[in-house]
Formats: sequence, C-alpha cells, structure tokens
Amino acid sequence: MRRKDASAVRRQGSPFTGFGPVFMKELADHLSSVRMMVLTLFVIAFGAFPVASSLQTLRTVVDPNSFLFLRIFTLEPEQVGISFIAALNFIIPLMAIGLGFDSVNSEFNRRTLSRVLSQPIYRDALLLGKFLAGLATFAVALVALWLIVVGAGLILLGVPPRGVEVARGLGFLVVAVAYGGVWLAISMFFSVVFRSTATSALCSLGLWLFFFLLWPQIASAIVSGAAPSEIRSLEEYAAIQDMAMGLMRLSPGTLFSEAVLGLLSPETRTLGPMLPAQMRGAIMGAPLPLDQSLLLIWPQITGLIAGMIVVFAAAYVVFQREEVRA
Amino acid sequence: MRRLLALLLFLFVAPVAGVQAQGDPPGLKGLFLLTDYPSQTVRAGEVTTIRVKVNNAGQMPEPLALALTGVPAGWKIDMLGGGQPVGAVMVGVNQDVAVQLRVEVPKDAPTGAQTVTLTAKGPMQQASLPLTLTVGTEAPAKLSLKSRLPSLRGTPRSAFEYTLTVGNDSGKDLTVALAAQGPANFQSTFTEGFGSNEISSIPIEAGQTKDIKLKVTPPRDVKAGDYPVLVKVAAEGATAEMRVTLQVSGQGRLALSTKDGRLSGEAEIGRTSSYTLVLTNDGTAPVDEVELSGTVPANWKIEFNPKSIASIAPGDRKEAQVLVTPADKAVAGDYMASFRASARGEQSSADFRITVTTSTLWGIAGIGIIAVALLVLLGAVARFGRR
Repeated sequence: MRRKDASAVRRQGSPFTGFGPVFMKELADHLSSVRMMVLTLFVIAFGAFPVASSLQTLRTVVDPNSFLFLRIFTLEPEQVGISFIAALNFIIPLMAIGLGFDSVNSEFNRRTLSRVLSQPIYRDALLLGKFLAGLATFAVALVALWLIVVGAGLILLGVPPRGVEVARGLGFLVVAVAYGGVWLAISMFFSVVFRSTATSALCSLGLWLFFFLLWPQIASAIVSGAAPSEIRSLEEYAAIQDMAMGLMRLSPGTLFSEAVLGLLSPETRTLGPMLPAQMRGAIMGAPLPLDQSLLLIWPQITGLIAGMIVVFAAAYVVFQREEVRA
Repeated sequence: MRRLLALLLFLFVAPVAGVQAQGDPPGLKGLFLLTDYPSQTVRAGEVTTIRVKVNNAGQMPEPLALALTGVPAGWKIDMLGGGQPVGAVMVGVNQDVAVQLRVEVPKDAPTGAQTVTLTAKGPMQQASLPLTLTVGTEAPAKLSLKSRLPSLRGTPRSAFEYTLTVGNDSGKDLTVALAAQGPANFQSTFTEGFGSNEISSIPIEAGQTKDIKLKVTPPRDVKAGDYPVLVKVAAEGATAEMRVTLQVSGQGRLALSTKDGRLSGEAEIGRTSSYTLVLTNDGTAPVDEVELSGTVPANWKIEFNPKSIASIAPGDRKEAQVLVTPADKAVAGDYMASFRASARGEQSSADFRITVTTSTLWGIAGIGIIAVALLVLLGAVARFGRR
C-alpha cells in the first residue's frame, strides 16, 4: 500500500535539487551567527591554555628527531594537566551539538519549513544541506584553530614542521572533523525527533555526558561482571582487556582519542595490550611510518565516518516520515 | 849448644804467644799495607780507583804519614779517606783503615808498566806497598745476539714473539741500542724479558747477558709466506745482528652484509620476506664450512637458503637468502634481528632492523564498512525520498 503511495509520489529528477542554495544559506547563517562566535571563543579559551603551556615546555626541548610539532598537540603540561587534544576531545562534541541541536525543529517552530519545502527543494537536499553546512562551519573553525596552533608553534619554536608532521596534522584534522560530524549527526537526529529545541539540546547534551562520565564506569562494570573470577593466563587477561576496549570503543570519544593517539604519537605501535612475547626484539620508541599508523587507527577512522553516516541516515529516515504541516 | 839455645828461646816466647792467641791472629805483629790487586791495568785518559787497607796488627797506634813515590810525570794520584784527601792515617790496634788511591792517567801516557810505591811512615814503624800499574790499550766493545727460536709460525692475526739474548762481551758496561728491520707495515717492538714497557735500548754490564723480547705484528692483510726480520743491536761501534723469520700462514676472514649494504628491511605480518645476504672473504685463505644462523624476536620464523656454504675462496663472495616471517601476532613497528655466519675460527654477524607492516586488508574492509553505510543512506533515500 505504502509502496504504491511511494511510487505514486515518486519524484522527478535528482534528490539533491536545491542542495546548493540550502548549503550556502545555512553556511552564511552559521558563520554570521553570534552562537558561532561564542562557540569559537569557547574552543579558543579551552585550547589556548594547554597549547601555550606545551609551547613553553617544548621550547626547552632540543631533540631534532622527535616530532616536535605533534607534541604541541599531545604534550600534557604539568601546570595544566590536560593536553590540547584532550581538551578538544571534550569540546568538539559541545561545538557540534551547539551547531546542530536546533537545525530542524527551529524551522518547525518558526513555521518556515513548509515555506522552504514549497520551493523546488527536496527534503533530502534540505537535511543534507543543513548537515554539510554545519560540518563545513565546524571544519572552518577547526582549521582556523589548527592554523593558529601551528602558527604559534612556528613563531615560538622557530623550526618548520617536517612533511610527515604536516601530513599527520592534516590527518588529525580529518579525524577531528569526522568526530564532530558524528556529534552533529546525533544532535540533528534529536532536532528531527523532538519538536522542542530545549528537549533536543538536553538529549544531545545528556548523551554527551553519558558517554563521558557514565560509559567508562558502565563498561568496566560489564567487564568485571563478565570476567572469570580467576584469571589464569596472560591470554585470558588480554581477552578481558580486549573486551573492555571493545566496549569503550562504542563511545565516539574513545575512537577519537585512539585515532589521534595513533596519528600524533608516531611511536604508538598498538592501541590494545601488548604481550611480552610481542615486545621481544622490538625497538621501543621507534616511530611507525605514516601508512602503518593509518592502518593502525583505520578501524577508528572508519568507525567515526560510518557512525556519522548511519546516524545521519537515521535522522533522514525519521525526517522523511514526518508530517510537515503548514 | 844450638839445641839449648832453641829450647831457651821457646821457653821465653811461648807464654807470650799463648797470651796473644786469645784475641788476635797469632804470631803476626806489625804494620801492613794491603790491596787486592797489587798489579793491575789502567787505561790512558781514565780514572781508576785502587783500594788500599792500612792494617795494624798488635802495634801501638800512632800517626802514619802517607807518601807516594815513583809517580810518573803527568799522572795524578790522590789519596782519599772517607771521600776526603788525606795525608796521614792512624790505625787502632788490630784494626784497618781504608784508603783509596784515585789514579788519573793522562791521555798520552805511554803503554808499559809503572811502579808506584805507597809508604806509611810513623815515628816507630813503617810499611810500604809497591803497586804495578800497567797502561794498557782499551779492549774493544763486543756484543753477541742469540735467539733460541729464530723462526715462528702463525696467522696474520697472531703476534710473533721472539726471545733474544744480548750479551756484552766487552770489558765495560754498555748501553745497547735495539732495532728491527722488517718488511713494510710490519710493526716490531722490544720489551724487557718479563716487562711490558717498550724499550729502544738497554744497559748491559760488562760480561753479562740480558733477555729481551721482540714482538712483530704483521699487517692484517699480509699474504701467506716467509718474512725475514733483521734484528740489530749496537753500542759504541760494536754491532751484532741476526735474522728471525715469520712464517705467516693464511687466514680467512668472513664479512657479512647485504647486497646493497642496507641493514634494514620490511616484512609484513604473517608473510615471508626474503633478504639477500652477502658473505665476503677478506682474508688470505679460504673459509670453509660456513654456517648461517640468526636471532629473531619470539615466534618469528627464520630460514636460510642455503643453510651452509662449503667454502669461500679468498676475495670471493657468496650470496645467501634469508627468509624471515614475523609472528602472526606481531605488532607493527621496528624490530631487531641479527644474522650470523660462522666458520671454523671465524665469525661475522650483522644486526638487521626489520620494519613490520600490517596487512592493508583491514583497511580495505574499513572502506567496505563506509561503503555499506553509504548504501544504507542511499537505500533510505530511495525508499523514503519524497516530495
């Protein structure tokens, strides 16, 4: 029956008709909005302190072989106790939620959705345009931040970054955008599901807090419940560790921090536990080639991108099935 | 009558002699001038010291003036007592006083015997000592050099140690300079018999011999063969020389490297990678029965093809393949492996850095997951897309 309906109203032409104007308008709205300014200031305030402290520390380092520029991101200064990427891990979801939590339901509330859809614009294009515009805004802010950090590093360290460092830094940007994309998709999903912007924001923030505060404890509780009472061998211990890691990886924040660790700390060989037998003969501290680092964190990157697409698809399906009243 | 006289004399003397026999050599009384060699040789232009003892046997001590007579013209003879020039001595009962005569013979003194008489004269008694001093020509310095084992055999890496005996056959002490002359790049050093200090000369007293050690180190790349080393000792115009021989037998020397000299390589987890090892013999003799072995991290597999090489001629090189398989559970990164080649008495090893890479299969799987997610989205668009 529905199939018949669907075929009856099967549209003509590309589903992306009108994508361009929506994308441009949304981008313009985002970039000129006060909220965007506030969020950017927020990020800078959070990021500036760790970066400044790490640069102070790194200026005393005289080791040409270490990945000096990458250590701006990963170094955990003593007086701050949080590295730049740890700050980003925390702040990127907030920024993405801020960009996406009211993208659809505010149009409902202002009763502009039906007006927009009366134009030659498909719903698909509207949602995708809103999502990609949010992602582009986020990417612009992030690239600006990244350039500020690298620029400050250039001025204060006085050495140019090597090609490998730049490549790893760009990889970090891609991962960060994908991480932001996941949270943007989640917040848009809630903005589609709930008509009230407050509810949507609450749900998004609630999920964020859940993953940050509650999930690590729930995961360890599950693991300790599932683990045998007595661990007999190293393999069993490794299996339990693997299980704990697997549960933790359901949180996008874990995926992000692991991916960033692999990219920005080239000496990372494995993200899981390493058996002593595997350590034998290994030259510790030797950096992995870039392609090997990428292969190491490839599941994480894949997970983030695929998660983003799947959540967006869910939001899309819900949005398509909703009734838009004038 | 004569018998009676003798008896009387005996009766008179015997008690006195018996009293003397308690502390002193019996019988002899008087003042004596003594020396070990009353007739000796002196050399023109040199100083000779003659020791003389003044002995007082059972006489009253009294000052004795010393005098020399018969000193040839140009000669200078000083009388020294306790290091000072003296003119008289006073000797206690049954005691000696040593006097040295420092005889300075002029350079142009003619050869021949001269008699000098030393007299010691006191108010009561006197003694005299004639000394015959013969001016002789100088005995020429003479050295001898001997070795018990003049020919040694060894490899280019061994040290050849010869024990040499240097003798000073002349009449005076000599400082002997040592020298050894070998083929180019042969290093030779002299040491004292049981010492470790390198020496270039050694003092030898007259008539004595000393053992010295000569150590010859041939250059490492010396060809097999016999090499002579000429040892020369010299002192004051006297020389002695002898020839010692090094019989150098050839020795092989193994060097292990890779074809392009690079000691690093890549290996994929669970897959066999092969590297080409090059074995070179830099030595002078063939290297036989070369066995290849290696150390790799735990659970890795290592194989050599061929496992052993029968012989490598000098200057030749042989290639061998080494097949390394990282463990299935290895983690990506750099590992250290070492390869060894060992033959009889010869060994060479090389540390090899292996970068373990992971399979890109999982990367492709990841792209597949993203593709599936996109397909889900496209499916949703196709299913739910509407005006």
